Amino acid sequence: MVAVMKEGASLPVEKTLEYKLQQRDELYKTTGHYWGTKSLTLKEQDPIKYERFYSRIQSAVFAAREKARFVAASPGGREMGESVWALTTAEGDTLAMSLGFISHCAAFPVSIKHMIDNQFEENPGINDGDVFGADDPLTSGAPHPGDTYTLVPISVDGEIVAWACSVNHIMEAGAPQAGSWPVFTVDTFMDGFVFPPMKTGENLRQAKWWDNLWMRRTRAGAMNVLDDRMRLAGCSMIHGSIHEIIGEFGVEYYQQACKEIIEESRRMILDNMRSTMVPGEYEGSCFRISMLKGQQQIWEHADKNELIHVHGVLSLDEDSRIVWDTEGSSRWGYHGFNGYPGGSDVALYLCMTTTFAHSCKASAGVNMNVESIYHEGSIYNPDTEFAACANIWAQSMQMMGVAGNAVHRNFFMRGYLEEAFVVDDAWEGVQGSGVLEDGTPYGFTNFEWVGGGAMGAYSFKDGTPTTWAQHTQLCNVGNSEEFEYLIPPLHHLGRKLEPGLCGHGKYRGGIGQSSVHWMKETGQRLGVTRGGSGTALSTHVSLGMNGGYPAPGVLTVTAKNTNLDEIFDAGGDTPRSAGELLEYSKNGKIKGDVTAWKYDPPEQSMGDNDLWANAAGASGGWGDPLERDIASVVEDIRIGQVPSDFAKLMYGVVAMQDEEGVVHLNEDETSAEREKMIARRRSESIPASEWWLKEREKVINKAMREEVLEMYRSSTSFKGYDTHFKSFWQLDEDFEI
Amino acid sequence: MDKVDKGLMKKLVNGDIADDDVTEMRRMEKKDHERFWTYLGVLQESVSWNEKILMRLNDHLYIVAKGNDRIVKCDCGHELGDYRTNWKLSCDLRVRETQEQVDEVYYPAAAAPDAAWMEIREYFCPGCVAQLAVEVVPPGYPMIFEALPDLDRFYREYMNRPLSDESPEWFQNKTVESVAKIK
Repeated sequence: MVAVMKEGASLPVEKTLEYKLQQRDELYKTTGHYWGTKSLTLKEQDPIKYERFYSRIQSAVFAAREKARFVAASPGGREMGESVWALTTAEGDTLAMSLGFISHCAAFPVSIKHMIDNQFEENPGINDGDVFGADDPLTSGAPHPGDTYTLVPISVDGEIVAWACSVNHIMEAGAPQAGSWPVFTVDTFMDGFVFPPMKTGENLRQAKWWDNLWMRRTRAGAMNVLDDRMRLAGCSMIHGSIHEIIGEFGVEYYQQACKEIIEESRRMILDNMRSTMVPGEYEGSCFRISMLKGQQQIWEHADKNELIHVHGVLSLDEDSRIVWDTEGSSRWGYHGFNGYPGGSDVALYLCMTTTFAHSCKASAGVNMNVESIYHEGSIYNPDTEFAACANIWAQSMQMMGVAGNAVHRNFFMRGYLEEAFVVDDAWEGVQGSGVLEDGTPYGFTNFEWVGGGAMGAYSFKDGTPTTWAQHTQLCNVGNSEEFEYLIPPLHHLGRKLEPGLCGHGKYRGGIGQSSVHWMKETGQRLGVTRGGSGTALSTHVSLGMNGGYPAPGVLTVTAKNTNLDEIFDAGGDTPRSAGELLEYSKNGKIKGDVTAWKYDPPEQSMGDNDLWANAAGASGGWGDPLERDIASVVEDIRIGQVPSDFAKLMYGVVAMQDEEGVVHLNEDETSAEREKMIARRRSESIPASEWWLKEREKVINKAMREEVLEMYRSSTSFKGYDTHFKSFWQLDEDFEI
Repeated sequence: MDKVDKGLMKKLVNGDIADDDVTEMRRMEKKDHERFWTYLGVLQESVSWNEKILMRLNDHLYIVAKGNDRIVKCDCGHELGDYRTNWKLSCDLRVRETQEQVDEVYYPAAAAPDAAWMEIREYFCPGCVAQLAVEVVPPGYPMIFEALPDLDRFYREYMNRPLSDESPEWFQNKTVESVAKIK
């Protein structure tokens, strides 16, 4: 056990965090190398020692996760990839990360810079073994308050040389809307338990008041305190390990090696970008619809529907670094879907880390190779300190998908088809609060479907279901019992892939998944909402890949006052997915008030035998569906992944499945159907120039719903997008939409 | 595996490659730089026309050198104009505007995009009617220009084989000039 050291006398200026931060930025700006590190001296002089050094710090963060997660209460931190531990430099630049959601390397430097800029070194002081916490999107880089950070400084003779950092997605964030992804928020004061970076403990121990805050300000206090302990336990392990490593290698070697590690990975990531990308400009977009009209009547200014536009152009700068410019994305609004730049980068880096930092040390090298441009006033950089950010993930995963698809399009252009797949990740969560029969209140989030979704199609093969999670290497949807155990009234009545739920194409996206949650013993009260990504009103991203269709958004289905008891007594079938629930309702196999929600439903009061179903995690297709191999369509019908009626509509394949499951293809009718579909393409399409003239008239006459017009007003309030929009439609400079 | 040969590349392009081979490709420590040339070679052999392929844009579309121009050409032979203009302006276009039309391409219908908010644009090659692109966007949304590569820079800086007709004029978006002509 390494003793925690006390702060000594005043430090020389060059050892203060403020000086280090300024020097780091200045040297990078003037040399283009991290801390001006032009040569990797330590690596060149003794590569074995250098690699042994890195393996020691990497082992420290890996070990921290593998042990600390068993302290956790929430399955997200323990079983899934919803946590990470890292070692950073004194300035917050990541040196090594555990498994988990590694894109949070974008957030650590924001918290640490905030503390430095606000003179935390003087007050409250930053000492070895102190404990800091943060989850405020504005000041800490957190995407939303559901992602909660712990940071522990590591010092040698009073000089901060490193931070042990951790983050995990907690079960409940304490907002008026229970759960960890509130949708119905108006400003930061409705986001829940939001706290900027603050000292919450000393000597590797949290203060008692800190536990009390969690217990009083969130609905899952005990779980959140245990999660807090989990983060700190891991950080404590890293703290101890790093002191040992410094004792072995010496502080001078440690500090120089850290600079070389980041510079080395910066170079390798840049090389990966140059090796797989094509310089140019790649445009994309997506939409997220916020349906709050009628649901925010106390806060009149928030009581409206909004079509949130996310627009991005990806390019490479003169050094081949990726530039991601989001000009044209909507202005921030009085809803929970905003974010600040740090949290926006956490989303963007989901793609950038896994795509480009795969063959090197997982460090802040990626941060220096990605320039994100979030325009002031936009949904990613609100020009107010009070914007709500409770659920940036509800659109930022789509934003990441747009950027990711641009990158994968590049891989396709260079011939690296084995890496080029459609990037979609329509995640889903169920959240809420209740009061047990004995009067015990609680709050919860079930993020089983955050554990993984379908992988998109490649240019040569279909996507696969439930196998992929952009945010972590630890894809895992197999922990439904964990959530059942922790959320007493929600039980899995069914869980399966949802037939047909994907973007279709020559190669279809991976099929999405569905759960049916059965409410039982709901106690005095149970209120449920969703906290998921984009809804079924729009697709996950706007642009399909090379003729394929983009993945659908998320569908929610609720059923109340059902006759489930009668069905159970009779030994009848119960629905296993959202689609089956709708089908059962339609054909009378289940009775009750069944509602399909293409948008975020307001809180639903649920009672015994009510059902909550979702269908999510679908991914996008690649290529022209009429080029799909007929045998593949037949196989999809046979395994129940694409219904035969829909197969005819989408693929022109005429086949029927008999009662024994055998699929009979009608080859003649299939040929005729496909010919008919080709003919329809010819007869139902018009030259784009003709379409342009008609569509332009729509724009000039504002012949579209008010929310769409409002979206264009918002996006064209940014000069660059205004020019883009008006020049494409050849509108006068003074045209106002 | 440190290199993908022509035979394997052909299988990858045609979609009849073995999963194990794909896995090996993904495990390459560093991507094979010459892949681009192998790729172009396989693609050039697969088309019936002679213009030199400079870049693949899409399953069916290529930027090719034709005389003094660089144009987008479909593998069927149809030409879609200067690559600096969004090739979608040279397509035929079908728009799914009603819910019934939208529901034909998404399943289950309850999860299909809402036609009250979104329309689905399907872009077809006027020659072979291949579906080249799909956009799901609100009405009035400008066509998305998927890719405008900087070919000169790519060939010179990334591939060390500069194109013979290099010019600053090549990396420019000419879409606005094209729509001005339609107007």
